This record gives sequence, structure tokens and C-alpha cells, in this order.
Amino acid sequence: MIDFKALEAEIKATAKKWLESGEVKFVIGYEKSPESPIARPFFAHTPEDTEKLYWGPDCINNLTLYLVEEMKKKPKKGQPPFTHAVGIVVKPCDSRTIVELMKEHMVPRERVKIIGVISEESINPDKLYLALKNVPASQRRNIRFHDAGENFRITYQGGELSVPKKELEADKCKVCVVHKAVIADVFVGTGEIEFKPDDFSDIKELEEMSEEERWKYWEQQMSRCVRCYACRDACPLCYCEECVFDREKPYRWVEKSVQVRENSFYHLVRAMHLAGRCIDCGECQRVCPMEIPIRQLNRFLIKKAKDRFKVFSGMNAEEKPMFGTYDLDDPGEEIK
Amino acid sequence: MTQENEAKDEWEPKIIGFLCNWCSYTGADLAGTSRLQYPPNIRIIKVMCSGRVNPQFILKAFQEGADGILVSGCHPGDCHYIEGNYHARRKLTLLMDLLDYMGVDSKRFQMSWVSASEGQKFAEVVTTFTNQIKEMGPQTKLRGVK
Ligand code: SF4
Ligand code: SF4
Ligand code: FES
Repeated sequence: MIDFKALEAEIKATAKKWLESGEVKFVIGYEKSPESPIARPFFAHTPEDTEKLYWGPDCINNLTLYLVEEMKKKPKKGQPPFTHAVGIVVKPCDSRTIVELMKEHMVPRERVKIIGVISEESINPDKLYLALKNVPASQRRNIRFHDAGENFRITYQGGELSVPKKELEADKCKVCVVHKAVIADVFVGTGEIEFKPDDFSDIKELEEMSEEERWKYWEQQMSRCVRCYACRDACPLCYCEECVFDREKPYRWVEKSVQVRENSFYHLVRAMHLAGRCIDCGECQRVCPMEIPIRQLNRFLIKKAKDRFKVFSGMNAEEKPMFGTYDLDDPGEEIK
Repeated sequence: MTQENEAKDEWEPKIIGFLCNWCSYTGADLAGTSRLQYPPNIRIIKVMCSGRVNPQFILKAFQEGADGILVSGCHPGDCHYIEGNYHARRKLTLLMDLLDYMGVDSKRFQMSWVSASEGQKFAEVVTTFTNQIKEMGPQTKLRGVK
């Protein structure tokens, strides 16, 4: 059983130590406001701030998004380049993002200090809202989670309820292959790296459909996308200074209008840009207001990258990015 | 003959060919100077190397009305820039998989290796591909027309 309070205390102590010694400029973590059912990002700049840090299964955001933002900052002209380090709290999946960012030289190892939390699972906020539907809105305050074996005991203002963990588990956690950060300066919690194979059974049904059925399915999904670009903005690996979809000159790649034609171009290109890089943190799908199954696209390419090129992202910072290299023996039977 | 068949007979596929400057484009040139016959459906775009072909080019061409797309470069090991075609192979075969997964038949997108001396092969590749696309009919999905 996991004692979230104890993990939280360890996180606070580590962050405090780093801030006191000045090793890091600030620590990116989570806090819990009384109003929010799920935790939200928090930036601790002073040792006192660390009191606010929080840990629980509702720490869902992939905070590396903010790490990239910080690394992208450039000093004023004539000033020396930034060298300060940033502290960050990561779940195992998020730690894989850092590995991927290191591979792409977006985050130098010495500029990040990582608190890697060994986590069993995160919850799916949608499922949490569902579980809380009978709790009057006025009582949905101070929500806290307690591990009770098979269940989460969820306490709120003036009450508590018990929900099976399985009912709240985020989909991405069901297929997670690491349950411990793959890179960290300090590990919080106990446990060993445990690999459980991902069989991609969640996309099997789609793969086995006929071509026409599949197009029908995707056409329907694509017709719903409103191209708010939230999926792009939430992705820590979509960090280009100028995004191809925002470009007007010399050529506008995609029209503003929301139609299957433009939307499918967007989604195909977005998926290709994440091929061999996406670590399936699921942020894109989580933030989508239209519930477009974006992970199904990502996961298909994760599977193919594995089958075709034996590439599995976010595990080893020494590797080269998938499209930055090649193998003489890459398969290519399709090429006549 | 039904009306539909008539329409189909008149329809000629639009095919875009991205050919690398050093091998395939020269191969196509050779096919021309050797007076080899191949269907006129292909519109050739010269690129410096098959590695220059961004997956976006393929998707955009489909969106703008291409019925079939051919990407052709030097044989593995012969790329003028040493490794461009190996990179192209990685990117573009993965794109083929993704197109299939979206329900767009990836047979509309073909790759082939054609050297500067293979004028004959170029004519054959284009002929077979054009016939195949004729068989498949117009590409409507990514174009967004019904
Ligand atoms: S977040 Fe959803 S609706 Fe917005 S662009 Fe992405 S897929 Fe489309
Ligand atoms: S594409 Fe989605 S799942 Fe993949 S890294 Fe980006 S936000 Fe995470
Ligand atoms: S120059 Fe022909 S494929 Fe690179």
C-alpha cells in the first residue's frame, strides 16, 4: 500500500533542500487547491513554497511541458547563456519524456534535477468526476486520496467514499511498461523497475477492421475535431518555436477551416512528428475537449516503431532519435 | 454502358512523382530520350534527394487531388548524399502504415528505387502504377470530396 502523505513529505524535503542550497532555481511540482478535484501544477521558488507541494494519484499533468518552456528561454543579447538548473517532480511516464528531451538536446542533464516518484497508477479525471457525481458540488472540496488496497478511499468535505482503483485508473497506466522513473536524482517511494509487456490490445480491434470501416471511424472522429490545438500545446514534445500549422509564409500548409480534409492532414502530420518520440503520457487526449482518441494514433506508431525499427522511445538518452538515424537493414519490402 | 462506367472511362488519374535529381530523374530522362512509352498521367517534381521528401508533401499532394504518388530515389547504397534514401525509407514506410491505419489504402503511395541507367525500369514502374491507380479509381478521402 502506498502512503501518499509519506511520499509527499519526501518530495517536500527534497525540494526544500535543493532550494535552500540554491542548486535549483525553482521546483516544478503539484499543489492541491481546496476547489480542484485534481492536483494542478505548482512552481516552488522559495523553501517556504515547498510546504504547498502535494502528491497523490491525481497528479496527472506531465510537468515536463514547463521544463521545456524554461529551457527554451534565451538570455538578452550579449548576456551569457542560462545555466541554472530546475527541479521537477516526475511520474515514471514523465521521466521518459525527459529522456526523450535529452536525446533531442532540449534538456541538458545538468540543468534538471529530478524527483522520480515510483507510482502505481494515476487516475483518469473523467472517471473521478463520474465517481463524484453523487457528491453535492458544495462538498467537493479538500478532496484527498488514500490507498486502501483494492480501493481508493476518497475523502472530501464532510464525507468519504470508497472507489475500486480499477474504476479510476487512467487508460495510459494500464499499458505502462515502467513503474519507476527511468531517470532521477532522487527516487521517492520504493519499488523496482518492472516491465510488463504492452500487447497493444487496445488498438487491435481498430487494426482488424476493414479499410472502409476504419476510414468511416476516423472520418467521424476527424469531423469532430475543432482544431483548438490543445493537443499540440499540451504535448511536451511539441516544442517547435514555429509550428508548421501556424505558418502562413512561404506556404500555408493547413487551412483554418474545420473539415475532415484539413483535420486529417493535421492529425496525420502531428502523429508523424511524434513518431518514435511520443511516450504515451496521454496529455494530448486528456486535454481534448472533443474526446478525440488521439492516443490510438500515437499508440499505433509506437507499435510500428517497435516492429519496424525496434525503437522504443524514452528509455535511453544515449540513443539517437528514430528519424535522426537509420539501419542498413530497415525493412522496406514495400519499395519496388 | 452505364453512366457510371462512362464517367470512369473518361477519368484519368493524376499521379505525382517525386524523383531524386541524381538517379530517378535522370532515369526518367533516359526513358524519354530512349523514346520509351509510358502513361502521361505522371507529373514529375524533381527533388534533390528522396530524403528531401517530407511526409507532409505526400499528404498535401493527396489533399490537393493526387490519386497516386510515386517517390523514387537511388538504390540503397547509391544515394548521392550517402544516406538520404535510408532516411526516406524510414519515414515513408512508416507513413504508409499510418495511411493504412487511417483507412486510406497505402497502395496509392508507392516508392521505388530507380537508377540513372534504368530508363526501362522507370517506364515499367510508372505504367504498372498508373494502371493500378486507374483500377482503384479517384482518391477522395484525404481530398475531402464525396
Ligand atoms: S485537442 Fe481535440 S479538438 Fe483540439 S485540435 Fe486536438 S484533437 Fe482537435
Ligand atoms: S503525443 Fe500525447 S501522449 Fe505523446 S508525448 Fe505528446 S502529449 Fe504525450
Ligand atoms: S540522391 Fe537519389 S536518393 Fe539521395
